[in-house]
Amino acid sequence: MSVPMYGLMAEFQSPEQLVHATEAAYKAGYRRMDAYSPFPIEEVSEAMHFHDDLLRRIVLVAAISGLITALVLQVLGSAIDYPLNIGGRPLLDWPAFIPITFELTILFSGFAAVISVVVLNGLPQPYHPVFNAPNFDRASIDRFFLCIEANDPKFERTATRTFLEGLHPMNVSEVDQ
Amino acid sequence: MALSSEPLNRAGNIERKEPYIGPGETLDSINNKITDIVFTAPRDTPRGWFLGFGIAFLLLMVFLYAVTDLLIRGVGVWGINIPVAWAWDIINFVWWIGIGHAGTLISAILLLFAQDWRNSINRFAEAMTLFAVACAGLFPILHLGRPWFFYWLIPYPNTFGMWPQFRSALTWDVFAISTYALISLLFWLIGLVPDFAKMRDTTKNSMLKFIFGIASLGWRGSAKHWNRYEIAYILLAGLSTPLVVSVHSIISLDFAISVVPGWNPTIFPPYFVAGAVFAGFAMVLLLVIPIRHFYGLQNYITMKHIDNMCKIMLATGLVVVYGYIVELYIALYSGVEVELALIQNRVFGIHATSFWALIFFNGLAIQPLWFKSVRRNLPAIFIISISISIGMWLERFVIIVNSLSTDYLPSSWAPFYPTIYDVALYVGTLGLFFTLLFLFIRTLPMINIFEMQMLQHKTATGSSVVDSGVGEQAMEKLGDRH
Amino acid sequence: MVIDLNSCVGCNACVVACQSENNIPIVGKQQVSMGREMHWLRIDRYYGGDLDDPVMYRQPMACVHCEKAPCELVCPVAATVHDHEGLNVMVYNRCVGTKYCSNNCPYKVRRFNFLWYSDDVTPSYKLLRNPDVTVRSRGVMEKCTYCLQRIKDVQHQAAVEQRELEANEVVTACQQACPTNAIIFGDINNPESDVVQLKELPLNYAVLGELNVFPRTTYLAQVINPNPALRNDVGIEYSFEEHHGGHGGEESGGEGDNHSE
Repeated sequence: MSVPMYGLMAEFQSPEQLVHATEAAYKAGYRRMDAYSPFPIEEVSEAMHFHDDLLRRIVLVAAISGLITALVLQVLGSAIDYPLNIGGRPLLDWPAFIPITFELTILFSGFAAVISVVVLNGLPQPYHPVFNAPNFDRASIDRFFLCIEANDPKFERTATRTFLEGLHPMNVSEVDQ
Repeated sequence: MALSSEPLNRAGNIERKEPYIGPGETLDSINNKITDIVFTAPRDTPRGWFLGFGIAFLLLMVFLYAVTDLLIRGVGVWGINIPVAWAWDIINFVWWIGIGHAGTLISAILLLFAQDWRNSINRFAEAMTLFAVACAGLFPILHLGRPWFFYWLIPYPNTFGMWPQFRSALTWDVFAISTYALISLLFWLIGLVPDFAKMRDTTKNSMLKFIFGIASLGWRGSAKHWNRYEIAYILLAGLSTPLVVSVHSIISLDFAISVVPGWNPTIFPPYFVAGAVFAGFAMVLLLVIPIRHFYGLQNYITMKHIDNMCKIMLATGLVVVYGYIVELYIALYSGVEVELALIQNRVFGIHATSFWALIFFNGLAIQPLWFKSVRRNLPAIFIISISISIGMWLERFVIIVNSLSTDYLPSSWAPFYPTIYDVALYVGTLGLFFTLLFLFIRTLPMINIFEMQMLQHKTATGSSVVDSGVGEQAMEKLGDRH
Repeated sequence: MVIDLNSCVGCNACVVACQSENNIPIVGKQQVSMGREMHWLRIDRYYGGDLDDPVMYRQPMACVHCEKAPCELVCPVAATVHDHEGLNVMVYNRCVGTKYCSNNCPYKVRRFNFLWYSDDVTPSYKLLRNPDVTVRSRGVMEKCTYCLQRIKDVQHQAAVEQRELEANEVVTACQQACPTNAIIFGDINNPESDVVQLKELPLNYAVLGELNVFPRTTYLAQVINPNPALRNDVGIEYSFEEHHGGHGGEESGGEGDNHSE
């Protein structure tokens, strides 16, 4: 084996098969795996017991910082840095500050959500070993893939291959690093 | 896709009378149909596209001329005067931004309500939103006496320590519109990433493969990625929903915080939001009806879709008509002299034609939508949508010009007459909008492929293994946390 | 400022004085017909009575320098603000020309440079202008300043002479030109000034006072003897009911007539 192996990739024809395969793999003790599908399938990530709360937390922090930024900006700008008598209104005219505070909260959280989804997913990543798998360009069209990665403690080349073939895939192939 | 469990699931799915996707579609056929429009070789582009793009591009040249002349000579080239200091500029601004609202409504609010039928029209409607907001955003800048200083409305540190005046609704507008434009852009782009990956994997052309490969950021459809993607998507939808309501509410506050009679009814925010959705759906229909015909997308944008959009149009239209009635009633009920004079001038005054035309185009012309036969008749819907687009433009004319031309002191009352430059700039932004739109349908997948594939899978299997949409799943996921 | 409508004869001298004092551009017939005259001070006319023999009521109208100015509230760049003396001032070089202030002005006294009205290039025109007043560029809003340059001039004079400002020392251009002394200007914080005493008269009223904008310019309502025997002498027709119908004196009565007849 001149090139180290990334994992074993099984190709399935339907989302249902992929979900069952993933469940079976998890039950068999595999942990380092990933599934690839043309559209999101909730049950697959559940079957892998994959949970990530980080994105939600980042967005919440961004929302709060947007809110604070807007309030600081407006209070500083109209009451502290350059206080002006505008139509005899009080300097801390807080009801007038609501719209901008709201908008900046939304703006910050929206950017946080999009940037986090890109960064947490490790994108942009033009090269990835799974692209080497045969027929993998159909993973974005109409095929469903399950990859058990070689660095899984339980991974064993032939045993894992036998296990995957027992799940009735269309084929199983080795993916090079 | 062969599905062994098909008969069983068909039975379980019996309550669905009419699916939102035509028969005989597979995951592969959806992908090919939508990407083929983009992958058509340049010389095979339909002639109609060139014709449409050519006309739009000519109008874009009108826009450039109108803007150049405006910048050289000043806003005096328009017909505005002292009581009527805002006219077509702000009318067009509100009109365009209103049109944009349907896109966000479709992509965000219908997502939260897990409405399957949004899947085939959301990409297109979001693009329409972006282009409409681009047109809208030009007007507040161009309407300035000194447009080159528009950045003074943006808070930035400067040596004078000067900040914008945060009590003005125009400053709120700057934040509302830029937030709206940016969030809409993000929503649209994040939705495109998985589809770019599909295009990368579908095309045989190595250059396109490279371009779409870069654009897709190396998306590989990993379940972990999809998981975060769905969370982000639903969060964006949750953020966009109050945003879309707030944007048109803030625009209505441009009027509602003023002292001008006819501008300050407290009903304005909800009435403006309903009007925006009303006008936006009319524009979506105006664009979708010809496009589904020319590109043969009847399987994706079914009559059921059009029927649903007509129902939303009718409902929001009735809210808008209710707004007209309440405005008149409250003015009469208040007994305030200036309010009564305003009503008299609106209904019988010099610009009364616009009011009665408004009642016709927005109030009467939508009534046939009560009938299902009309909601399934494309020419009729097309005509009604044109009528609504005209009507919503007139609504802003009635609010802005009629109210300004006759306010408190009769000594200052004056009518408004547009000049050729008012018209040229408006027609020019239509050119900008359609130029962008034609480029979009030629170069990007105009229907969200992965959501259509999910819809196809759900429709074909009726299965609960795969849920209806990103929204539903992610909603459940958000719920699971607690 | 107080404007006594009993004294005003509508001669327009104040309008001309204001125009020459404040470098107000002359825009020409075509622009005026489009509703773009630049006069900071105008004489409003309201008509009442019989159409064949109407009564005309006159009212000089300029920026009334509202205390709770609606124009200031809506300016996004703070180009119109209150100064420490309570004047409603325009900052020309901050103005970007949204025209929102004009829309929100109930008195419609703001004027906008829709085009490049002030020719500041032709050399011979340079001598025409008052050097104490800014020449406004295209795209900028302008309005009555209460002759701010005259106020400052008098203040500087007093400062040089190291004395307090006297009551009624500041004279605005319109006030100076008025042949009947109908326009009176002064410091409302100085109890000795004429304006303070005039504002205490029962005839004193604020135009559109119901909007709670607290205008600084108020008017002394016109009083006309309703005795029919005097009718020919005065030359105007008068109806008693008309005058006591509204609280605002002739002006609101006149407005009512304007659209009810």
